[in-house]
Amino acid sequence: MIDGYVIVAAITLASIYGLLAIGISIVWSSLGMLNMAFGFTFAAAGYGAWFAAQQFPDSAAAVLAGGILTGALVGAAVCAVAFLPLHDKPNFTVRSLVATLAISLLGTQALLATFGPRVKPLPKIFGLKAFEITEDVVVTADKLGAVVSSVVLLLLVLAWMKTSRRGLEIRAMMQNPEGAALVGIGVRSTAFAVMAVTGALAGLAAVLLSQTYFVSPYAGLLPLIKGLIVALAGGLGSVAGALIAACLLGFTEAATSAVLGGQYVLITQFALIIAILLVRPRGIGGLLDETRE
Amino acid sequence: MSAQHDILEVRGLSAGYGPLRVLHDLDLTIQAGERVGIVGLNGHGKSTLFRAIAGLTDWQSGSILFDGREIGGSRSQGPGRYTHRIVRRGLALMPQGDAIFHGLTVAEHLDSGAHSREAWRSRRDRREQVLGIFPPLRALLDVPVGRLSGGERRMVSLGRGLMTDARLYLVDEPSLGLAPKISKAMIDALMRIDLSRGAMVIAEQNLSLLEGRVTRLLGMHGGKLKRGTDLPIGRSAALEI
Repeated sequence: MIDGYVIVAAITLASIYGLLAIGISIVWSSLGMLNMAFGFTFAAAGYGAWFAAQQFPDSAAAVLAGGILTGALVGAAVCAVAFLPLHDKPNFTVRSLVATLAISLLGTQALLATFGPRVKPLPKIFGLKAFEITEDVVVTADKLGAVVSSVVLLLLVLAWMKTSRRGLEIRAMMQNPEGAALVGIGVRSTAFAVMAVTGALAGLAAVLLSQTYFVSPYAGLLPLIKGLIVALAGGLGSVAGALIAACLLGFTEAATSAVLGGQYVLITQFALIIAILLVRPRGIGGLLDETRE
Repeated sequence: MSAQHDILEVRGLSAGYGPLRVLHDLDLTIQAGERVGIVGLNGHGKSTLFRAIAGLTDWQSGSILFDGREIGGSRSQGPGRYTHRIVRRGLALMPQGDAIFHGLTVAEHLDSGAHSREAWRSRRDRREQVLGIFPPLRALLDVPVGRLSGGERRMVSLGRGLMTDARLYLVDEPSLGLAPKISKAMIDALMRIDLSRGAMVIAEQNLSLLEGRVTRLLGMHGGKLKRGTDLPIGRSAALEI
């Protein structure tokens, strides 16, 4: 039952979940905020891509850019509303959870009121070609495009985090906020960068997932849940852990769909995560981390 | 600015955490070129004084003039909100517990300390200077700091603070948790730092490490510094405070 088709589906899902989970994971560890508005960012970016597709129907680049830019803008807006006024108040974690949840609910209703409940399709930006790998394994262009573009953007983000000065500042803030302040890193400006970059990741994920699904006001709910659980299983804050968890959960989802049927996907995924967290409370990232605080 | 320009002038500083008041109406003046030692027991406010100057306490009131500009004032919330601005004005706080980034390598750590534009541009030369002060770090440049020993971490923390030229270095308990030989090496390293443009305050429990090596020695007790005349440099006098 586990054939080439399942593996292709698993890799596609893993790359998209990787985008979502890393966004949630970076925001949690650098800003201390569980960003519940991530799903709204995702949905809004879908509409941004759709809007771009209306203006430039033949340009795949415009659709991608529309999604990524909208995601980055919405991310920065969430930062301005939920992070800046709250980050130095007591109980910031709970307050920001409530604030981002409120943004998510209000934003979803705003999308519903503006664009209506009818779902919108995005153009097939990667075309409709299919590539035969073996006799019974066929990779469609949208899956190949999803994997390649998410891997490329992830590598770009990780390289930027690793080599740039801003990336160094973000990693410093992820590991010790007080230490970061003591080397002159401003929480607020860094937060904008973090939220814009993770918003852009959500935007790309929105465009990629909308190759298979549709753009709708509620499109962000499932990606938010998947992103959260992947980030949790990976150990919140661990980029490598989130990537491994994304692969595990992508494979679980593809295999469950093929063997048991699509309605069991969430059950097996949650069972796997509960198992991981029972054995390793810090998630997969806890296995990789050899350092001590 | 004259040579006797005050780098730090603290007037009536009170600070604390939640309902706890740690500093009581404290006054302190530090002049350029000075290397001042503050001695006192655990829990009498040495660290809180440093943290209040950096804006890290829960609340504080009173005036703190740093290089002639006010960085204090009354504040009842938002610890750390303006710390990065104070740091960029030329404060280097090497805190107790080192405030390290455990997943960053030693080299990345030192780079993160080079926060001013000039320091960032010349970070390779500056790194060489820091490695000259702490030679054991050279072999560890690519090792995550979370795997280092306590003494090596202290070197990283102090080295990070030296990557940008500061006007005021605040060093909190450089010998804490270290073996006597390494403690002495830390103090020796601090004594080699050039203070032609700035000043340094070292908080220390172990008086013998500082005796005869600092310009002035102040005692801290119950959230107050011994005011007016400075302590005579001698063990017995300081311990009577």
